[in-house]
Amino acid sequence: MSLESDFEAIPIGFDLGEWEMVLDEETVHAYGERMQWQNRDLSEKLGFAPPGISINMHPRMQFAKFTSLKSAIWAKSEHEFLKPFKMGAKIRIRGRIVDKYIKRGRFYKVAEFETLDEKGEVIMRSRETGINVE
Amino acid sequence: MNTKTIPVGQEIPLSTKTAFTPIEQDARNPIHTDDYAQKQGLRGALVPGSTLLSYMLEMLYNTFGERWLTGGKIKVNFIGGGAVNGDHITAHGLVKSIEKEETGERFTLDLWMENEGGVKIMVGEATCLV
Repeated sequence: MSLESDFEAIPIGFDLGEWEMVLDEETVHAYGERMQWQNRDLSEKLGFAPPGISINMHPRMQFAKFTSLKSAIWAKSEHEFLKPFKMGAKIRIRGRIVDKYIKRGRFYKVAEFETLDEKGEVIMRSRETGINVE
Repeated sequence: MNTKTIPVGQEIPLSTKTAFTPIEQDARNPIHTDDYAQKQGLRGALVPGSTLLSYMLEMLYNTFGERWLTGGKIKVNFIGGGAVNGDHITAHGLVKSIEKEETGERFTLDLWMENEGGVKIMVGEATCLV
């Protein structure tokens, strides 16, 4: 299989599945350290995780489905924050491929994601465009 | 911070960081390893886009506070070859417009992130109802 044939085989609407993430103290702290998040009041006083803490799950969801895809990079990223990410909550992330196109010889695929809280309410909507490298 | 003190045409307080992500040789996406990234013509292992985005989001949270968590929108493009560990990068946000709405004022900002050489590595826009 080549990069091109793999890309052609991706159906629009392809379901990326649903992943879970628990925003426990250890996870939030580790994220804050890794992202050099300096504002501690958000988690320590307000009880919220940094907005977007689950965004790095989105490429993982794609790599888990597209097992022959070796490498990809981000081209565009779009997010709408609707509700805070509460510490201690178990959130769910679901995604699907909504578009794909070839431009200047590069293979772009567009995915949309929804992040939901424990009540099933959407707390973040995302749309990301990535380039399949190899 | 008090957004009433930020008029159109002014930058919000910027955020500067030294880009860093741990390099794992067995990374699922080898663009985050030096050898593979250099074979692709890059300077070295790319700092993930989600990390750069997080730097930008912290700047916006520091400006808009809880309002950002319940109504912030961001749209960015990654350009300019990205960032590698050790790059000194700065996130900027310039207030482009403030429009009155029923429940407050909607701030729209031009966003960009640049490295110490002045090369833009992210451009985009954010809005927040305050």
